[in-house]
Formats: sequence, C-alpha cells, structure tokens
Amino acid sequence: MTALIDQFIERAVLSGAEIEPFSNVQEAVDFLKTFFRENKIEKGLISSGLKAAGPFAEAFPHFETRPAPASLWIEAGLVAADHGVAETGTLVHFDLGDDEKNIWTLPEICLCLLEKAKIVPDLEAIAPRIAGHLSRTGLPSPQVSLVTGPSRTADIECQLTIGVHGPSRLIILLI
Amino acid sequence: MKKIDPALKKILQDFSKSYRAKRRIVLEGYDFEDLRTALADLKDRSLDQNAELLDRFADRARAHGGIVLRARDGGEANDMVLKICRDHGVRTMVKSKSMVSEETGLNGFLSGHGIEARETDLGEWIVQLAAERPTHMVLPAIHLTRRDVAALFAAKFGRPVPDDIPALVRLARREIRKEIFAAQAGMSGANALIAENGAIMLVTNEGNGRLVTSIPPVHIVLASLEKVMPTVADALTLLRLLPRNATGQTITSYVSFIAGPHRGPQYIILLDNHRSEMLADPRFREALRCVKCSACLNVCPVYQIIGGEEYSHIYMGGIGTLFTAWIHGLKASQDLAKVCLRCHRCEDYCATKIPIADLITALAGRIRDRGGAPLWKRFAFDGVMASPRLQRTAFKAARSARKIIAKKDGFSRKLPVWMKKYDRFRALPAPAATTFSKLFKAEFGAERAAAKPAKGPVTIFGGCLVEHFYPEIGLAAARVLSKLGYDARLAPGMCCGFPPSNAGFEKAAGEAFAALVKKIKIAGPLITVCPTCTTMLAKRGAEIAGSEKAKDLAARVVPFSRFVAENEMDSLARLLTKERPALLATYHDSCHHKNLLKAERASRTLVEAAARSGIREMDERDACCGFAGTFCVDNPEISAELLADKLAAIERTGADIVAMDCPGCLLQIRGGGRRKGSTVRAAHTAELLDEAME
Repeated sequence: MTALIDQFIERAVLSGAEIEPFSNVQEAVDFLKTFFRENKIEKGLISSGLKAAGPFAEAFPHFETRPAPASLWIEAGLVAADHGVAETGTLVHFDLGDDEKNIWTLPEICLCLLEKAKIVPDLEAIAPRIAGHLSRTGLPSPQVSLVTGPSRTADIECQLTIGVHGPSRLIILLI
Repeated sequence: MKKIDPALKKILQDFSKSYRAKRRIVLEGYDFEDLRTALADLKDRSLDQNAELLDRFADRARAHGGIVLRARDGGEANDMVLKICRDHGVRTMVKSKSMVSEETGLNGFLSGHGIEARETDLGEWIVQLAAERPTHMVLPAIHLTRRDVAALFAAKFGRPVPDDIPALVRLARREIRKEIFAAQAGMSGANALIAENGAIMLVTNEGNGRLVTSIPPVHIVLASLEKVMPTVADALTLLRLLPRNATGQTITSYVSFIAGPHRGPQYIILLDNHRSEMLADPRFREALRCVKCSACLNVCPVYQIIGGEEYSHIYMGGIGTLFTAWIHGLKASQDLAKVCLRCHRCEDYCATKIPIADLITALAGRIRDRGGAPLWKRFAFDGVMASPRLQRTAFKAARSARKIIAKKDGFSRKLPVWMKKYDRFRALPAPAATTFSKLFKAEFGAERAAAKPAKGPVTIFGGCLVEHFYPEIGLAAARVLSKLGYDARLAPGMCCGFPPSNAGFEKAAGEAFAALVKKIKIAGPLITVCPTCTTMLAKRGAEIAGSEKAKDLAARVVPFSRFVAENEMDSLARLLTKERPALLATYHDSCHHKNLLKAERASRTLVEAAARSGIREMDERDACCGFAGTFCVDNPEISAELLADKLAAIERTGADIVAMDCPGCLLQIRGGGRRKGSTVRAAHTAELLDEAME
C-alpha cells in the first residue's frame, strides 16, 4: 500500500497537483482553516456529501453546495474523491448531478479529500465500479469524473498554461 | 502550389520535436506495440459489430432519458440541431471541440438561421474569433503566434492586450465563461460511445467540456458512428493510449463519463455521413479505426512544412485525405492525395495501426480510375512503364541524348526556364553512358568463369535508377559480395512496377511486375540496393500478381545491407583495408528502408565499420529528403523545402560523407548538395563499403 501511495503522490505532483498529507481528518480541517484565512477566502463551494455531515460542514458553514447563477468567480471548492489512481495520479469521483461536478471545475482552487485506503493501482481496477455506476438509471443521471492535475492548455504556441477553464490549483488533502 | 510560411514551419517542427520527446517519456515502461495492437483489435471488433453496438448504445441512452437521433449526412445532422435549438428557444449554443461539427459546417449553418454557435475550447475560440478554420485536430490554433492572438483579442475587445500567454488565457477564461453561462444549449462530441450503458466519454484538458455539458440547460452530443465500443473497460483501453499518443500525457486533466441528461434534455445525434459505405469497403474500413489522436500529423514531414490550412479539406494530413475522399468526395481529396509522401513515418506512430500510406495509394488508384490522373502520369505509367519494350526504348533514347544534356560532372544541364522549378533546388543526374547490366557483364562475366566462389550464388537486382543512372551502386554491391566470396549474378535491368503502383496505376504496375517475374532467374538470395524496389518485390508485387513464382521471388528478397550485416560481419572485418581514409560519416534514413524494411540498423553497422571515424547522427535523421518519386514532380516547392532541411542537417554534422541506401534519396541529396556547393559527398552504403575493402 505504501508503494501505491508513493506512486500516487509522485504522479499527482507530476500532473501539477499539490499534495498535503494528514494523519486524521481534524488535521485537514485545521489546515483548511489556515489556508482559507491566509488566502483571504471567505466563500466557496462544498460538495453535498461533505456538507451533509462531519467536521467540514461545521467548520465551513458559509460554503454553499450549489454555485449561484452565472458565477463568474468562485474562489474555492471543497470536494472528496471516491478513489485515487496510482498509475496516473488521478482522482475519481462518482457524480450524481452537475452541481457536484461543477464544484470540481468552476472554482479557482479545488481542494479534494482523498483517503489513502482508496488508492487503487490503475483505472482497470475500478472498471466494474465505473460501469456499475453508469448503469444506474433515474435522475440525477450518473456521471464519473477523472481529474488529474489542474486545468491546462497548450493552445497558444504549444506552451503549457494552467487554469484555462477549470481550477489553476488542485490541492489533494491525503488522509 | 502549396504555400509555405517559414514562421509556421518553425512552430510545427518545434512542436513535433517536443511532442516526440514527451511521448517517448510517457510510453516508457509500456509496450507501445502491445497497447496499439489491443486498441486496433478493439476498434476492429467494434466496427464488426457497429450496427448492433449502436442499437445497444441507443437503447441504454434512452433508458437514461436521452433522446437518440440518427443522421444520414451532415445536412440532416445540422437540421436536427436547428430543430432542437428552435424547440428549446436556443439563441446561443456553446460547443466543446468537435471535428464532426466542422465536417458538417454546423456553425455557419446555424448562423444562417440566426443561432450563434460559440466555441469554448481555447484554440477553437481563437480561430473562430479570427474567422479561420482549425489547422490541427488537437491544437486548432497552432498556426497563430501569441502576437497574432494578442492583436486579435485587442481588436475584438477594443483594448490593448499584452502578448503574454497567461494573460491571454485569463482574458479568454473570463470571456468564455460569460458565454457559457449565457448560452441555452451546450454541444459536445464524444471520444467514445459506450454501448453497455449508453454513456459518452469525453477526454479534455481545459475543462470546457465539463462546463458545456453541465451549465446550459440543453446538452447536444454530435458524434460519428465509429466511436461506439462495447464496454467501459474498452473505453479505458482507448484512454490508456489516446492521451499518451496525442499529446504525450499519461492522461488528460479531465475525463468525463456522462450517462443521460442532467438538468435539461440530452440529445445524442449519431452521424453517418458516408461512414457506412466506408465500413462496407474491405480496404478503406481500416481508416475508421482512427481515434483522432493526431499523432500522424505530429510526425508528418509535409504537415510540418505546409500546416493544416494547406493540407486539409476539413480533416488534416494523410488520414484526413482518406476521410475527405469518403465524406466530401473523391474530387475534394484529389490534390491532397498527391501531397502525401508515402514515407510511412506516420504508421510507426498510429494508435490503431492504420496503413495510411498504403490507403492513400489505394485512393490514388480510385482517383485514377475515375479519370483524375494527369495526362503525363497516364502517358508515363499506362504507356511507357507498363511495357518493357517501351521502357527500354525510352531509356535508350535518354542515353543517346546524353552527349547533349550531360555535363562533365555527370549532372544534366539545367532544364529550360519553364521547367526550372524541378531542378532549381537540385541538379538532376544525366543518364549513365552504359547501363548497369552491361557494365556488370563486362566486369563479372569473365571473372565468374575463372573463379570458383566458395559461398554460392547471389542475384543482384538494381532497379531503374541503378540500371540507367547510377550503375556504380550496383557494381559496388556486386564487388562487395564478390570479395566476400559469393558468385554475383545479375537480375534483368527491368522496372519492378513500383512507380506506377505508387501512383495508383495498378494495372500498369501488374504488367511491369509480371514481365519481370517472367524473365527473372534467381540463384540464391535476391539482393536489392533500392528499398523502394525491395518493397515492391517483397510485398506489393506478390499481392498484385498472386502467382507462386511471385511469392517465391518475394521470399528470396534481401536488402543488400541486411544481407551483409547479418551474415558477413566477421569476413568484412578481415577485408576492410587499413589504409582506408579516416572518414566521418552521417547516415540518412531512407523512408522505405527504415519505415517498411526496418533495415536501418544493419546499414549503420556497415557504415560504422567502413567509415574509420564512425557515424555522427544528423538531426531528424529519418525525415524524408523530399524525393519520394512522383511527389517531387507534383510538389517541387515542398520537395525543395524538405531537401533544404536535410542538407542543412547533414552540413551541421561536419561529416565528410553522407551514406544512404536508396538511389532515389541519392539523386535528391547529391543533386541538392551540388546546387548548394556542399563538400559532403553523398554515397550509397554499398559504394562506401566497396571502397573500404581490400
């Protein structure tokens, strides 16, 4: 498992993500409080799963689960991944509905919780779970997101530039 | 005539180098052949079951609440989009990148009906602002510099804009996000349609695909029918290779699987547009394996020189030419087909093993069959090359004219002004005074009768260029083999049929090849000194003729360099003269020798042994020199550019000699060096070896 975690960290950093390791949830909450204070972030979005219960909801009650209409500027989004993929440093999220998906995409900074125990070697290891999730019927429609590093483009002179439509920073809180 | 923009050429060549470096890194630890074989097999299986998989996909997508529509052609697809827009009061639709919508001309169509289609992929957004077309499938604005983009933004938004890329991207982010929030519909393509659950897979880096498919209330998917595959696991097989091969990334920033509508309706339009006909064609269905990774463009020597605006109808490059022929008609593909070098470089990179060059040759055949070939090709191939008698007469006439056209240095006098585009960049050789066959008989006929070679017979096939222009290459090969103890014998000095075959004149090629097969007597292996002839003798000829004798001939063919390197290195080491000069060599990879015969290592082994100071590799050693048979006649301006790059790369090595295995490359490089006044000698590997032996 340690090797998988090390590989995940190495690949995620190579993709441009930042890694913050913690030994428990409270440490992550404390980090976030400091991070938001230092970066003068007062408002942001939080996934409905994190909002529903637990220390994140208590610590950040002013974070909304849905973006306001035509939100051109959202500073931060707080989400949780269902899996990490060691081979590519990818975060996997089984979405239900677009609000959830947009919290990963709209903010300038995306902060994502990931439990070390949920890291798998490669995407093939969770292919049946992805297929199963996408076979669910009923609303909201199922979606699966694979997110690896921040948003990027090389459309001008083939030069890598970060943060074109999605977040310019992806910070993974590894618990 | 194709336009060449030096600034664009530099961007594309630099991009190609950085792409290949990144790709090499992300494929470390993986077997590319295994990955692409798996993907090609998957695509073939999916194409075999295409109709069934599409039905299953449609059923499952409908079970999620999606509305699935089938469009026969681009016009029908556009009408469907228009109706959806009207039904939902859509005034503005935002789009993530979709080459299929470029294929149908959707933006212009909607604009004509009062609906604005706005691109959101940064590159697409830029080219739309500039009122241009994408010139690359993955990097649509690759032809524009940061200064072009800054000037464009300044003009569009009415304020000064610095030519700083991050600042340009931030401006685009703000403006595009406003457009996404204001739009009533979002359109995406699909990298895969997954039959088992009716989901689409979208592979993006910027994140616009995620916003376009989730912010506007209506989601429209426009995808072509070959994108369907059976399962999620299959889509992951695609995902394992697509980003690695497309952009040199292990995976893109975002991959989204979407099954069903979100807050509003989801429409999925499955476009045929002649793909069913392509699928039914046993030869051309292979092109439908394409996953639009653009790797072929990224390594195409011609694309790097003229760019996608010149080398496209809608889809770019060689693969684009094939799609153009089926989607937009043979006529639209006619000029594009002539631009392909048939160098086969792209095939080493293709994610699904599509034989692009061979398919272009087959396309040239269809163009020829429909009367699309020019008069000179019909005369040369259907007339002269198809008949051994006329071939002999033509070359004899050329030899007779030698006194008039040849200069002392062996090159021809300059062509008249109206033909100067063909020899301005390279001096053309004069026909040899005596053919290879005659010289061979004079030198080896008596010798063979006198000596008793220990190692048995070998038969040497020279090919047209060696027979009539460069007999010294054939003689050098014969001498080397003779010194190594073989009984060198001669194959007839006839055309193998490759030139007409490559130009799409299959019947003429078959006749030329059949005449050779009828006359040839092979003793021992059939040794060749021209890789292009080799591919004809070893593969294409047997495919055309299909006779047992042709198959037997094919089985005996061995390129000269491979034969010597694999069998005679010990003997060669003993026979190399110690007095040979301390030459530094560089080696040019001839396209067919490297990309089809995979014999370049053998040649390097020989050159390394013969040149006492070894080999110093040139930049882009496997880039085409620009000869490529009729290519240099059809496209002299591109041929000149490729040659200029090759000569500059050779000069930079500081080598005394540039070796190669193809007489065609020798014609081009030696002639180019002559025009440029280069002191680097161009020689065939056989010549170099002969000179270095006792």
